[in-house]
Formats: sequence, C-alpha cells, structure tokens
Amino acid sequence: MNRNEIIEAIKLIVKPYTEDVAALESINESTDFIKDLKINSANLVDVVLDVEEKFSIEIDNESMAKMLTVEATIAIIEEKMNSNAGK
Amino acid sequence: MLGNDIVDLKLAKTQSNWQRSGFLNKIFTKQEQFYIRSSENPDRLVWLLWSMKEAAYKIHNRITGVRNFAPTSLECSIRQEDLKKGAVCIDAETYYTESDINDDYVHTVASCLKNHCVNVKTAIYKAPNLLADYKNTSAACVSHHGRYLALVY
Repeated sequence: MNRNEIIEAIKLIVKPYTEDVAALESINESTDFIKDLKINSANLVDVVLDVEEKFSIEIDNESMAKMLTVEATIAIIEEKMNSNAGK
Repeated sequence: MLGNDIVDLKLAKTQSNWQRSGFLNKIFTKQEQFYIRSSENPDRLVWLLWSMKEAAYKIHNRITGVRNFAPTSLECSIRQEDLKKGAVCIDAETYYTESDINDDYVHTVASCLKNHCVNVKTAIYKAPNLLADYKNTSAACVSHHGRYLALVY
C-alpha cells in the first residue's frame, strides 16, 4: 500500500467522526485530526481502534500519543506493518 | 492556572460507544477501569474521568508546550463516596479537580492549586442561549461540547 492509498484509507476511517466536509475533502499529510477536522478527542480513540482493525496492527500508547496528524498516522502504520512483515 | 472540560451526556451517548472492545484500555488505567466497573453508573464514571483528564491536560499542555494524545498518562484519583473532588497526576505534576455531575452534563474544573476551585467562577450556557462573544470575556479556559458552553474565570 502506498502513501496515497493509506491516506485514502484514513479518509474513510475519519469520515464518520468529522462534520467538516471541506476539510475532509482536502485531507493531506499535514491534516491535523483535532485542529483541522475538528474531531472530538474521545473519537480519536475510535480512529486509533479503526486504524488497528483496518491495517491489522497494534498501536501502543507511545505511538498513539503521536497520532494527531495524518502524517504521524502514516508513519505509525508503515512502521507497524513493516515490523509485522518481519515476523 | 485553570483548565475545564464539559461533556454533554446526551451527545456523548450517540457520539461515543465506550463499550467498544479496546476503548477503555486505550484511555483508562487499570485503577480507573476498576472505578468504572465497580460503579453503579459506569456511564457517568467514564465521562467524569474523561472530563478530569481533559481539564488537567489543558493546563499541562499550556505549561509544558507538549501536545500529544496520551490519556493513560493522566492518572485520575477519586474517592468513590464523593466523586466531585479529585486529582489528576501526570509525570511529577498534580492537578486538583472539582466536578459538577448531573443528568445532563459533567463539567470539571482543574487547577494547579489545591482548593483553588472554590474561588473559580463558572458560567455554563446551554444552546440556543449561548454567549456569542465569549472570546471577549477573558475566560481562563473554555470548553464546548454538544449543547453546552462552559467558561471558567
């Protein structure tokens, strides 16, 4: 999965948690879930759980702490998928 | 320094499903999950502890300049016989909280100082009667969720 495909997957995941259609349409690596998409912080947990399910990865607390932007989320997904592939 | 957080319980019911598998583990420590499980009203406990963490985080974030999403690093302590007063510890810091809990919302005020909350003025507005120009009222902290707007001074 390349970065654009990952962004598309993230876009689908966050869709139910944002009401900001314009910000969702223009989602890119620098998009901030809370500042730009106005996602409620409790729903950020849902985003983390949905990413875990979609990519079959486990996101530890240390990684979750950084998961505020699309860019950080891509980095975590790639890192966890690579370490899964090595198993 | 002050922080506050309001949870509209009606909106929280539809916006979040805390019974979803994995949800509590990502947000709450083992001790906090024990508080929730042993409560007669687990739904209320979930949102009380959440608003305590959010209110404390708002102060901690301003002091340290660190922005992150690490809810389990904020450890709440409450006394089950009086849920209103509590404390939230993160790293070496302790923030003292006072919460207003009713059927409509949970509102928590956090302060760096113990017993400071008694001197805090709180204003809660409910839609459609929200205060439009609240940004000019020099509130120490603002929280908005669902039908409610909460300001502390």
